Amino acid sequence: MKNYWIKRIASAFLVLGVVLILNFLLFRMMPGDPVSSIIDPRFSPEAKEQLRKIYGLDLSLSRQFILYAKQMITFRFGISFLTQRPIWEELSSRIPNTVALLGSALILSAIIGTLLGIKAALNRGTVIEKIVLWGGAVSFSFPSFFVQLILLMCFGYLFPIFPLRGTISIPPPTGAMAAVADYIWHMSLPVISLVLLGFGGWALYVRNLMVKVLGEDFILMAKAKGLPSHNIIWGHAFRTILPPVITIFLLALPGIVSGAVITETVFSLHGVGRFLLESVTGHDYPAAGAAFYLLALLTIMSNLIADLAYGFVDPRVRFERRGKR
Amino acid sequence: MNRFWEKYIILLTLLFFFQGSYCAAEDRLSPLKITGPKVYELYMVIIRDPDAQVLAAEKGDIDVLGDIIRPVDVERLSRNPDLDLSLAQAFHGFFLGFNLRKSPWNMEELRQAAWLAIPREKIVRDLFSGYAAPLSTFLPPASPYAEKDIPLSGFDPVKAREILKNAGWKWDSEGILIPPGTEKSLEKMKLLSPTAQVAPTTAELASRSVESLNDIGIPLELDPMDFATMISRLNEHDFDTYVLAWSMTRDPDSLFAFYHSSMNIKGGYNIPGINDPELDKALEELRWAPDERSAREASSLSQKLLDKKVPAIPIYSRYSIASVNRRWKNIIKSRVSTADNTWSLLSMEPVKGEMVPLHWCLSDEPRSLNPFSAGSAYDWQVMGTIYDGLLAVDPFTLEDIPWLAEEWKIETVTRGDGEKTRLYFRLREDVVWQDGKPFTAEDVKSTILFLRDNMIPRYLDNVRDVIEIAIPDNYSIEITMKGVSYWYLHNIGGLPILPEHIIRNVKDWQNWQPSKLENPVDKTLTQLVGTGPFVFREYRIGEYVRFTRNEKFWLLEQ
Repeated sequence: MKNYWIKRIASAFLVLGVVLILNFLLFRMMPGDPVSSIIDPRFSPEAKEQLRKIYGLDLSLSRQFILYAKQMITFRFGISFLTQRPIWEELSSRIPNTVALLGSALILSAIIGTLLGIKAALNRGTVIEKIVLWGGAVSFSFPSFFVQLILLMCFGYLFPIFPLRGTISIPPPTGAMAAVADYIWHMSLPVISLVLLGFGGWALYVRNLMVKVLGEDFILMAKAKGLPSHNIIWGHAFRTILPPVITIFLLALPGIVSGAVITETVFSLHGVGRFLLESVTGHDYPAAGAAFYLLALLTIMSNLIADLAYGFVDPRVRFERRGKR
Repeated sequence: MNRFWEKYIILLTLLFFFQGSYCAAEDRLSPLKITGPKVYELYMVIIRDPDAQVLAAEKGDIDVLGDIIRPVDVERLSRNPDLDLSLAQAFHGFFLGFNLRKSPWNMEELRQAAWLAIPREKIVRDLFSGYAAPLSTFLPPASPYAEKDIPLSGFDPVKAREILKNAGWKWDSEGILIPPGTEKSLEKMKLLSPTAQVAPTTAELASRSVESLNDIGIPLELDPMDFATMISRLNEHDFDTYVLAWSMTRDPDSLFAFYHSSMNIKGGYNIPGINDPELDKALEELRWAPDERSAREASSLSQKLLDKKVPAIPIYSRYSIASVNRRWKNIIKSRVSTADNTWSLLSMEPVKGEMVPLHWCLSDEPRSLNPFSAGSAYDWQVMGTIYDGLLAVDPFTLEDIPWLAEEWKIETVTRGDGEKTRLYFRLREDVVWQDGKPFTAEDVKSTILFLRDNMIPRYLDNVRDVIEIAIPDNYSIEITMKGVSYWYLHNIGGLPILPEHIIRNVKDWQNWQPSKLENPVDKTLTQLVGTGPFVFREYRIGEYVRFTRNEKFWLLEQ
């Protein structure tokens, strides 16, 4: 068991090292650099050269890599080329909104999708299953910008229940409670839109897993033993499908930090998604490198947690690992 | 067909309406008579999505919306009785360029024929529903220097073929051109353009240009690519033809950057690579013109030569379109300036009398509130209300008008080591910084020296020729520049002037964040203080920037 975890952690570090190198190389292999993309006749080639020096782009690639690796390992990410603000400050100002938006959307989509998926599996061939299947497929296949713009038009403009933009009213409300309520009000429509777009995938996935499990012999056995249906569904069938569900959930976790560019744009939210996009397209090497490094770190940690969680929810995994020891 | 005419009639009505509205405004208000600002509180609200911007303007959440680009938005907003739209010629120019470094585009007659082969009027009408103007000059139509009398401007494919035929070009059995003196048809060439996903209208325009050039026998095909890749290819001179838009200014000296042979270097702005001694001479006369009259003559000659040599084909220039809610009055707008300008900010007041905060839409996040590194238009929409320059630009005529400097003079002086330009500015004596310190010539000198000595890239071209600054008294300043050029006046006159008592303590200009540092004189303010009409109060990242009226502003009605 101990050896297993040592191996897993060592391989995680190895992956992180590869990500570190790729982050450095891939951004620099992209055509152009942060300076050459400035196309402004008032910005002469000499002025561009001066900017290149300030950004440290006149240094050799090996020297640039050493500086970059030091920044990443010490978590001192430096200054963004585009905004001239510390990258930590940029990310920390965006992460709360992004986590609030995507975290709540992920949890709500997972809960609603799972419940609907189970409901559909238990009611095979009925109207309920058809509604869930159709609803799931429709929700899963609509483009997000379309759904979000329709929602904004309907509930932000025609029936103005929700605000059109941002996370705060202008002028902002006074008092902590009023500020929290205002924040929730502003975030409601973006979260609802993402739940609408996201629950379908969960519902279809869980429904398929449940249908398969409900046809297994041990479920028949449980029924034959006269166990209450609640016990059969949640204690036997759902518990059996938990490992893949947890895996999907945990692997989606890094996504709640990486942001949602379209949602952030439509609802004018200050989030990580746009920052990532602008960093990459604007050749903001320090910002893009730091953001992708943190995302990689989060993905690796989520994988490790998923491994750990497997052992808790699936006794077979526990026994297997002990057996290997 | 009916829909086409319907659209066209709407457009003509709009243009008539716009024309009428700005003419009326021109009669009503002169920038030199404006007092203000009138509003006490200003919010610059960040809304990125164009659909959300339109909804916010219609709902009344924002009062001023600029940068309206999509024809569908213009039509929708123009139907709303609560909104007043303004339309103006812009400083935008879209060009189709050639690589003159290699055959066949090094042949002048081919480029001239290509110009005549592209139906710009039709393309622009189809793609922009008329909300852009076909361009026939190398300067934007709003520029006071734009040459009006351009012979090679219309669509005439018959004449295009005639030019080629007269120069000895032939066509093969498939209609492909054969250059004079050879028997080999032209090989396939590429036109670089951004992808349709990123820039749909540009990609469509490029596609139609390709079809038009194919029609006269030029075997061109579209090569859509990522914008960064395209710029990289252009910088490396690895292309046949390309399409690219430029944002220019009222001054014509950008022509030097675009077409002088000294800029024909990798990464330089002379992307077509034109290297013509006659044109070089005209552009040098333009760049180093001693006065406005010489500048006009050189600008006219340069444009006429460009028109003949055709290193690129001007295609269109977009109009600027802005919307203001009709609950506000005293809007300043003109043929060359939409309502979303700083003059409007000074004069605007509510129709109903009771003062309310003004909500101004920012179409993107200001990236930096550091005046040394700020570069985007959104950064300067924010800082333009805080910092002032020595001169301002008349929104009707685009001429220089007094601002922090009430008088100025530009003269050529001869010294032992050659001719120099001396700029003299007489400063207003009633100006104070927002933190209460008086504004003097020392502030102007410190700003220029700080920018020059730190070689700050964004201002390098403005200040690197400054060789001497003298302050005869607290409110006069004489700046001597290395060479002779009329444009030095705008290089210096347009700089944002920063307070000496603040910048003397700036050790690391790159990481300076004035909006987060306490002001040493007035503890209620930050170090982001200028002489401008509005005082910075708060920046909620991703949400808004809040300002209050500068109660010490020199144009405030007493």
